[in-house]
Amino acid sequence: MDLDALLGCVTSSSCLVTQTTSGLIVGMLLFMVAAGLTLIFGVLKIVNFAHGTFYMLGAYIAYSAFMFTGSYFLGVLAGGLGMAIFGVIFERVLISRVYGANVLMQLLICYAVVLICDDLVKIVWGPDFYAMGMPPAFQVPPLFIAGGVVPPFYIMLILVALAIGGGLSLLLGLTKIGKIIRAAAHNPNMVSALGINTTLLYSLVFAVGGMLAGLAGGLAAPVRSLTPGMGFSILIESFIVTVIGGMGSIGGALIAAVVLGLIRSFGTIGFPLFTEGLMYIAMIIILVFKPSGLFGKEIV
Amino acid sequence: MRQYNLPRRTVLTGAAAVLATPHIAGAQAKAVRIGMQATFSGPLAQSGITHRNAIEMEVDRINAAGGLAGRPIEMVYRDSKSQPQEAARVARELVNSDGCDMLLDAESSAGSFAVQEVVRDLGVLCIHSSSETSSLTADPKYRVASAFRSSRQGIHDAIVGGAYAAKVADARKLTKWATCSPDYAYGRDTTAQYLEYLKHFKPDIEVISQAWPKLGQPDFTEVITKLIQAKPQAMYTALYGGDLTAFINQGNIYALFSAMQVFSVNLADYTALTAIKNLPAGIDTGNRYVVTCPDTAANREWGEAYRKRFKEYPTNWSWESSTGMRFFEGAAKKAGSADPKKLAEALRGLKIDCPFGVDGTVTMRAEDQTVVGYAIGWGTTLTKPPYVADVKAADWGTIFELETEWKKRNGFI
Amino acid sequence: MARIFRDIAIGILAIAVLAAVPHLTPSKAFQDFVIRCSSMALFATSLNLLVGYTGLSSFGHGLFFGLGTYSFALLMQRTGISLPMAFIATLLINAVTAVAVGAICIRLRLIYFAFVTLAMQMLMHSVIISWVGLTGGDQGLQGGIPRRVVAGIDLGDQYNLYIFAAVVLVIGLLIMRHIVNTSFGTSLRMIRDNEARASFLGIVVWRVKLTVFVLSAVFASVGGVVMSLFVSGAYPELINWPISGDAIFAIVMGGVGSFLGPTVGTMILLLLNDVVTRQTEYYGLALGIIILAFALGLRRGLLDFITERLGGRPAGGIS
Repeated sequence: MDLDALLGCVTSSSCLVTQTTSGLIVGMLLFMVAAGLTLIFGVLKIVNFAHGTFYMLGAYIAYSAFMFTGSYFLGVLAGGLGMAIFGVIFERVLISRVYGANVLMQLLICYAVVLICDDLVKIVWGPDFYAMGMPPAFQVPPLFIAGGVVPPFYIMLILVALAIGGGLSLLLGLTKIGKIIRAAAHNPNMVSALGINTTLLYSLVFAVGGMLAGLAGGLAAPVRSLTPGMGFSILIESFIVTVIGGMGSIGGALIAAVVLGLIRSFGTIGFPLFTEGLMYIAMIIILVFKPSGLFGKEIV
Repeated sequence: MRQYNLPRRTVLTGAAAVLATPHIAGAQAKAVRIGMQATFSGPLAQSGITHRNAIEMEVDRINAAGGLAGRPIEMVYRDSKSQPQEAARVARELVNSDGCDMLLDAESSAGSFAVQEVVRDLGVLCIHSSSETSSLTADPKYRVASAFRSSRQGIHDAIVGGAYAAKVADARKLTKWATCSPDYAYGRDTTAQYLEYLKHFKPDIEVISQAWPKLGQPDFTEVITKLIQAKPQAMYTALYGGDLTAFINQGNIYALFSAMQVFSVNLADYTALTAIKNLPAGIDTGNRYVVTCPDTAANREWGEAYRKRFKEYPTNWSWESSTGMRFFEGAAKKAGSADPKKLAEALRGLKIDCPFGVDGTVTMRAEDQTVVGYAIGWGTTLTKPPYVADVKAADWGTIFELETEWKKRNGFI
Repeated sequence: MARIFRDIAIGILAIAVLAAVPHLTPSKAFQDFVIRCSSMALFATSLNLLVGYTGLSSFGHGLFFGLGTYSFALLMQRTGISLPMAFIATLLINAVTAVAVGAICIRLRLIYFAFVTLAMQMLMHSVIISWVGLTGGDQGLQGGIPRRVVAGIDLGDQYNLYIFAAVVLVIGLLIMRHIVNTSFGTSLRMIRDNEARASFLGIVVWRVKLTVFVLSAVFASVGGVVMSLFVSGAYPELINWPISGDAIFAIVMGGVGSFLGPTVGTMILLLLNDVVTRQTEYYGLALGIIILAFALGLRRGLLDFITERLGGRPAGGIS
């Protein structure tokens, strides 16, 4: 524990700026994965334990598309679209068969998919780890803001993630389809009784969830290592985020993701050996006082 | 019984050896079974696979030359999925059910300790070819009479790294240091030992910041920014593999490598060197495996043969398992038998010719049954192949002297 | 009453058969299999007390399995007490921990309960990883478990450990069987089926939930002790979250509605693991496909499926 260092950091503008942006970037990528997770749970009451796999596949597809086209933008797009399609197939072929089944049965099926996909990645791409490398456009020196160091690439990532989060909120809040999704989350029978095609709706939700995870994987590919099984750690953190934010609440996921990112960035200064433990403690404390997360609906 | 992934050539050469020697009694020509366990799945699958690649090369070579004292080698490979309890189970299964005469254990640290307990209970001959945790062989508490090690050791790396860094630090006046190593036993122990020897050779070093990212952590940003905040003149990192790649890629966009002199003990391994797209020049790095250290014809030939067969360069794991197989080979030659008890006897103190030895040989030191004399060196990175320049192999005289002191201090001897 | 005697008779018979097997076949792998089975089946069955009988889906039950391995191995390594004393002390440590953890967790419901138990387990995992001086951190407790002798029987010997594991398994299962057949067991099922009604009928829900939480933790730790003897130590992987997953998969595949479902599921999973690992390094691919076929084909655990086919109604089950 190093509380002096932590105090020193929060009172220095350069440290504050650097660590805050560092927390934001970790948080925003996490938010993109967690947003899909929480959306799927909110509408379908499905806990998608295979969500980390979406992220992994998105990164690999983006990597291959980048190698093929040389364009980072196309790579990310391919990752997002690929996972949107994968999400629909996953929902139609597997998950649709266990709607209403016990959460543990869903867990079992998702676990099987995780196992299968990890091995498929090993077969298709090999066991070596890959790194996409920074796209030439972003191979520029970092900016200095109030003494803090901020790389332009990360500013771009934060803005893109914010735009996607904002777009998602607008989609849910203003459009007709958004209203239907929210209604379905509230009362699926009612939506079905109104003659709305819930099959299509459920596939759509998985497509959006898959796309978000795939985009996050693609966006992160230049700076993170690609290995089979890389979805594992992001899955755990996404769950922490969705649970703290309240399962089903996208706004909650955003706040929780940022909080988690900040816990990590400042935790590494104050408690370098117990950062992981801090996240679990935060989760337990919040759940003790708010048994369904910060913005979750009471379960009855 | 089906053995997966038994390379066809092994079977063929094995069969050929049996066919070619019909006059030898069946008992003598019976294959020697060596059980090999490692991680073949998950993020560390690469380690098991490159261990196995090297083993296949050696098995082909040894079998073509008549096997272990006339008996062909037959490998049985098993995945332990990086879980110590699976490692323990698999080790028992290899010996008890698959009839393996001996083990080549390529588990990483925790797994190797689990295997060590099985070796203790069963008394089977075992060479650990992956664990670098010094205490496995150094601490008499863990030592087992039939267990050996053919992989490098953390304490050796620390001494060599410390001596090298002290020289560079002296020349460039680097006194303020930071460290960034994975938060588990290997990272913590090697970092502490490295700093200890750095201070031994250059006492005016000050460590101003230490970061401990998790193993397999996807994002190192907060760690990188913490290091930049601390403004050290030099930094040591024991990160490796995919973590090191991610760290360098993420550090690049913060211009970390121009802000401080970086010493990376594990960078000079082709897994990392070839995966990093924008490798910064001028990082000081220890060699894991490069064909230029030791800079000998034997090492180059071996590295190129490996590359020709598997379409990529060998890894640190490859040479460690290759050395393990060479020790089995050498011991069988010395003992004139493939009997595990005689092999164990022959292994103690055995010196063999080996492309990875600093002088063309390596020795299985009798007192703690671990390999010494392998090439360890440090050099600086280039942005293009051969990636590392001026690798200077370290002097084992200094290593022995300081290692003995270290053992005394820890009550191991 | 007759039921108890019948169960005990079956248990004794099972031990007798297991004790005879090594005289028929020399397979050491079979003995290892039974030892691991004993450990995991106790753990999975204890989890089913929560999942199948009370309707509490815990994702963090591995906390008590892992704590069982660590407390037992540490007591054996660090103190001079005998094996039976260490065994009992392990159960006490787990009971006390379970009271504290349970008091926090049972306030939460459904998926939140599941995740808070997982967080508790991962917190303990973080503590074990960080507390290197005591636990050896990620390397685990090295150096083996000393003095594995009980009443002159050395549990370091494989056959002895095999018999010990079989006896512990049978006794553990008998006690848990008895628990679910008492009126306490009835209360559990009432809470599972309708918590509000159970409360209305005078059941103090939190007290019953906490009690079953502690009981299941104690039995999970017994499984941990057996595992600790098998690996001769304790490792952080034994308290990491996949271990909770293993128990969940065992009960889902074997059947949450049948008392022996978790035991059957454990056997299926361990067999799959051992057989598939021998055949291919694409273990995940093969296992994943088998699990999918299983889950989508039967849509319930194997024993539940058989019971239903035979026209019966499973005793437990999750609504």
